[in-house]
Parts: sequence; C-alpha cells; structure tokens
Amino acid sequence: MAASHRPIYLNLFKIKLPVAGIISIFHRVTGVLLFLFIPVSLYYLQLSIQSERLFEQVSYLMVSPFSRFIILLFIWSYVHHLLTGIRFLLIDVDLFLEKRMARSSAWSVVIVEFIIMAIIIKGLFL
Amino acid sequence: MTMVALEGLRPWLLQRLTALYMVVYTLYVIVYWSVFNTLSYSSWHGWLVNEINLVLLGLFYLSLLLHAWVGIRDVLLDYIKPLLLRLILLFLVAGFLMGTAIWMMKILLSVNL
Repeated sequence: MAASHRPIYLNLFKIKLPVAGIISIFHRVTGVLLFLFIPVSLYYLQLSIQSERLFEQVSYLMVSPFSRFIILLFIWSYVHHLLTGIRFLLIDVDLFLEKRMARSSAWSVVIVEFIIMAIIIKGLFL
Repeated sequence: MTMVALEGLRPWLLQRLTALYMVVYTLYVIVYWSVFNTLSYSSWHGWLVNEINLVLLGLFYLSLLLHAWVGIRDVLLDYIKPLLLRLILLFLVAGFLMGTAIWMMKILLSVNL
C-alpha cells in the first residue's frame, strides 16, 4: 500500500494516549517554553548581579500573583523537562525498554514530579 | 556507518551531553543554595566572585544554548514543512541564540572579581 493511502486519524480528543506519550508531548512543550525563558533568565541574572538594590527588586518578583504564576510555570517546565529528560537518557542506555517497565517509569516520573512540585509550592508560596 | 549516518549522531550526542551537564549542575545549585546557604545579595555575589562558579555558570548557559538549538531545530523540522519558511525560522533561532550567547558573556564578564 502506498504511503499516501494510509488512513490518517488525528482527532486528539479521541486518541487515547498512554501516560508515556503524554509526558513525552509535555517534554516538548516545556522545552519550547524553557527556550522562551532563556532571555528572561539572563535579564534577571543581569539585574541580580548589578547592584544590591536591583537584587532586592528581583526578590520582589515573588509578590505579584501574575509573576508568581509565571515563575511557577517556569519551575514546573524545568522540573518536568528535567525528569522526563532523565527518563529518556535511561532509555538511551537500554533501561526501561520493555513495555511494562516503560509504563511504570512514566508513572514514576509523574509521581516524583508531583512530590517535587508540592515541596516547591509549599516552600515558595505557603 | 557512512558519513550521512553520522550526521544525525552528532546533534543527538550534543543534546545528551549538554543535558547530562545541566542535570549535574542543577543538582549542585539546588544542594548549595537550599541546604548550605541562604540567598542574599552578599552570598549571591560572593558565590559568583568565585571563578569556578562563574565558569560553571558560563558552561551551564553554553550547554543550555546548544541544547536549545538541537531541540528547537528538531521541533521546526517536525512541524514546518515549507522549505523557505523553515530556513528563515532556523536562521532566526540561530541568530537569537548567538546573540544570547554574546549577551551572556557580557553579563558574566561584568561580575567584579
């Protein structure tokens, strides 16, 4: 059968994606978000180095709800990208290749991510 | 393996090596700042004045920029099919990352040692 005759069915609301697929898609999404955060991080690095007054100003970022949301989005992106990335590195060296192992390692990532985010939210916001 | 087959291996390896460095560096930063020290302007400045930390931070950003290049390149190759648009976007991303690298060098060199 020619490649062009393959049935294409991409209704994202009807495809049931396994958990490994979901965290993998978010690895990519968070990767793009982190790319956009690169200049932001450099800007704040620059401010924090320049003077004590500007350093204090960076610390005040935690006050407004909007910047809190952005910071949380950044932290979550970093944590998710890092954890799923470590899982990919382990798969590269032939760990968790078997289907059941791949599934449980994906769930492990979700659980560890949840715990880390709970600790961070408690530490930063509560 | 032919040269063509090796073409794809280099960015793949670069992506993995930079990832590995960033994982280790992240753990170092988390352990240093959450376990051993509290963040203030003087402790932060003192940390950066140490040349080792400055070099490690520079290497982190270098890894980050290279890693971002491979990643964003993969995303663009996956989703942007028209050749001209793809080339323009790749060019813009490369320019953006190189500009960021220069900015990063300027910032790190501005730390008063």
